[in-house]
Amino acid sequence: MRKWLARLAVLGVALLVAGQGQAALAQDPAAGKKIVRVGATQAVDSMNPFQAVRLVSTSIHRWMYGFLTVPDSKTLKPSPDLAESWTPSEDGLTWTFKIRQTKWSDGRPVTAEDAAWTFNKIMSDDAAKTANGPAVENFESVTANGQDLIIKLKAPQASILENPIPIMPKHVWEKVTNIGEFSGDEYPSVTSGPYIAVEHKKDQYVKLKANPDYWRGAPKIDELQVVFYDNPAASVVGLKNGEIDLIGRLNPPEFEALKGDPNIVQWNQQGRRGAYLQINHGATTTDDKPVGDGHPALKDQKVRQALHWAIDKDKLVAEVQNGLAKPAHGSIVPPMYTDFFWEATGDTKVTYDPAKANQILDDAGYKKGADGIRTMPDGDRKLEFRFSIHTDTPIEDKLAEYLTGFFKEIGITLTTKKLDSSKFTEETGVTGLFDIAISGWSVNPDPEEVLATHLCSRRPTPAGEGGGTESFYCDETFEKLYQEQLKELDRPKRAELIKQMQERLYTDAPVITIYYTNDLEGYRKDRIKSITSVPEADGILYGASSFWPFYSLEAVESAPAQAEGGSNTGLIAGVVGAVVVIGLGAFFLTRRRKSVADDRE
Amino acid sequence: MTAPLEAVEPAATQAAGPAGDDRPARRGILRYALSKAGGALFSIAMVIVGTFFLFRLLPGDPVRALAQGRNMTPEQLDLERRKLGLDQPLINQFFDFVGDTLRFDFGMSYEYKRPVLDLIGDRIGATLLLAGVGLAVAVSLGIWQGMRAGWRHGSRFDKFSTGTSLVLWSVPTFWLGLLLLLVFGAYFKIFPSRGIQSVDAPDGFAYVLDVAHHMVLPVITLVGVVYAQYLLVMRSSLLDEVGQDYVTTARAKGLRDDDVRRRHAVPNALLPTVTLVFMRVGFVVGGAVTVETIFSWPGLGQLFYEAVRVPDFTLMQGTFMLITVAVIIMNTLADVVYHILDPRVRSA
Repeated sequence: MRKWLARLAVLGVALLVAGQGQAALAQDPAAGKKIVRVGATQAVDSMNPFQAVRLVSTSIHRWMYGFLTVPDSKTLKPSPDLAESWTPSEDGLTWTFKIRQTKWSDGRPVTAEDAAWTFNKIMSDDAAKTANGPAVENFESVTANGQDLIIKLKAPQASILENPIPIMPKHVWEKVTNIGEFSGDEYPSVTSGPYIAVEHKKDQYVKLKANPDYWRGAPKIDELQVVFYDNPAASVVGLKNGEIDLIGRLNPPEFEALKGDPNIVQWNQQGRRGAYLQINHGATTTDDKPVGDGHPALKDQKVRQALHWAIDKDKLVAEVQNGLAKPAHGSIVPPMYTDFFWEATGDTKVTYDPAKANQILDDAGYKKGADGIRTMPDGDRKLEFRFSIHTDTPIEDKLAEYLTGFFKEIGITLTTKKLDSSKFTEETGVTGLFDIAISGWSVNPDPEEVLATHLCSRRPTPAGEGGGTESFYCDETFEKLYQEQLKELDRPKRAELIKQMQERLYTDAPVITIYYTNDLEGYRKDRIKSITSVPEADGILYGASSFWPFYSLEAVESAPAQAEGGSNTGLIAGVVGAVVVIGLGAFFLTRRRKSVADDRE
Repeated sequence: MTAPLEAVEPAATQAAGPAGDDRPARRGILRYALSKAGGALFSIAMVIVGTFFLFRLLPGDPVRALAQGRNMTPEQLDLERRKLGLDQPLINQFFDFVGDTLRFDFGMSYEYKRPVLDLIGDRIGATLLLAGVGLAVAVSLGIWQGMRAGWRHGSRFDKFSTGTSLVLWSVPTFWLGLLLLLVFGAYFKIFPSRGIQSVDAPDGFAYVLDVAHHMVLPVITLVGVVYAQYLLVMRSSLLDEVGQDYVTTARAKGLRDDDVRRRHAVPNALLPTVTLVFMRVGFVVGGAVTVETIFSWPGLGQLFYEAVRVPDFTLMQGTFMLITVAVIIMNTLADVVYHILDPRVRSA
């Protein structure tokens, strides 16, 4: 009995410590300020924008720095940011940007010189290319003239208005001697955007303060913090107990774990990500020599199309993605980008129809054997494909199960091959050692880069270098359309060309888009009064290639400590007192027990 | 204070008896310690060699892995390769690596752009705090419960504590940690979900409380999974002592039961546990990887985990070597300390 009492007492102390911790939290320096804490399950790789590649870091840099242009929060069209206006030359090769008269957070004026220095740094220093090298590849020269920034291009490029490079303050960054080895951790940072970074504890958090002199007007909150979590399940716990106020990029299981909490808004909107199957349709290197060991049957467009007809995308969305995705009847640009999104209609549209898939294969001469598995028309090699997925991704495992089932219906065997991510990237992007592989891509407001991953030039060199291909695709029609859209400065006309490129990918099927995953996020409505997504109403909050959601948000003040000062000291005294009392109690209890034991002997 | 000595005496006189004076014995310890240290140095050398080849056997091109799926030009890849020294012949790479390692130069972390040694220095404090407290609690709890369970062998307390500790021992650390997070973090909302401190941490004494508050769940997880080993070793070695003549004698002298246990049986039974503790101290540095990743604890374990996720090869190499060498050193110390504590080993 006494033992139980003692245990209860210990539990009591534990609870008191817990309560005390809570009190300490309430007592924190944050009290009375408007602070919004954003959870992130990705660690900041670098606070140096020349080096940072992870979404969390580029998002933070979008909140700190200005760009030439930003996507409009409603239409996603390029709209003025640090560049107030711009004019292309007649031939589309020379662009003049008028840089806004505003100030860096240290009071120095922002000039075209800053922008010119930033671009020239990347063009001239290989070590500065890490983050945004490709974005200046087509730049011939960049010069400044007062507030005018003049960019000369090697070839016309419509997407110049979606340049992803933050403009850096020259007077601060030119002092950095080795840009490749500089972590960027000098605070407070000098910025021209809505926030100023004031502290970064690696793998713990980044603190940003509102920039009071921001030219659009200071943000409506005092501080924005990004809090790092090693593991997504813990971040959901953090949101539930109020340690963080918002978390983006959730997986379906974590998103569903937020259900039922009255203070949490489950944000479920169309996303910027598509999932697709990459098919080894005869991988080659840049000199057109075959590479890898892809199954010969997949070179046949008919087989690829048959695979497409055999996939029940609705079922995949419902059962693999728990309904938190949209079945894809288009290609790699997701529907949230209304200007560039293309969807198949009429005869081109491929739906779930295994009978039709079987018909196509029968007609093309892939006969079924006694075991129900088809063989090549001219030999005895069976249609047995490997499906490469990543290790430790339950969703891909599940997808593999379903695809295996679908393809069995049409006499094709699919076996799953799991690879760790670096091996996966190598086999599906360089050495071509795969038949079918899972793939996916986040698409920016301008889809040029994601389209470029299917260009001939992106294939690996004969030495197995470079690349960045997502399909080993090399198709004349596609290349021609790509070149045309580069030159087309008229947005609707360019969108038309981009749609044709997607149609080509859809019908030729080097990749088969299966679904567009939703953007799943969660935030506390008792802390965030309002937040606007990009695009407004039904878009993305975190990771939206825009500063807008985290600039425009409004928050509730952090609760001030329950009472001034006294309560905390009181609580500490209380805890100390409780510990003493319980310690004494335990001491006497054991004494008493000892004497009982003595009595027994 | 003299009691433990008395208790050890029967064993001590038995073993050291013929030697008479203790000088040869002391020289023996020195020789023993030297031979153990030699063995440890050999192991460390093997670790260095092993590390070099292990990290070069890993599948995938490290430079490509560093690119993380970004589109890099061949020139950029070459630059990265030169930076990592991968353009050199393997044998040169090997000697460079050994030389650097002996100078405690573990290279620059690719991701953090800082020397690996600095990073380790930053993180080791958090790990020692977490794992040290965890070890202390696990050892105290294990020894205390093991003592009681062994003394009252077969009692309800014995069954209960042995059962509980074994169940926890069998539970995966990750699962236990997440369960605690869900129950105490999300449901009761009394413990924080991450880190060593609040983002806006208070100053002074409140800061200590803040850190303590953050430590509760990680420590419980760490203790829950490992304390069974101390409990079981303590329990079984005490069981061995219970039937010994000297215990019967002590009882016959009319000593109280608690005194017999505390002054006579336990000191003798403690030896194996102490050895175990020393051996585990080596794992303190590396043993908290899982717990650190569950609770986003900014220690070495998290550093290693992040290095694997990137993958940041120099950082992986550095932390891997540190963790391995810590285990070797502590094992060697355990051997030597055991030698000093238990005279019976000396003659063996």
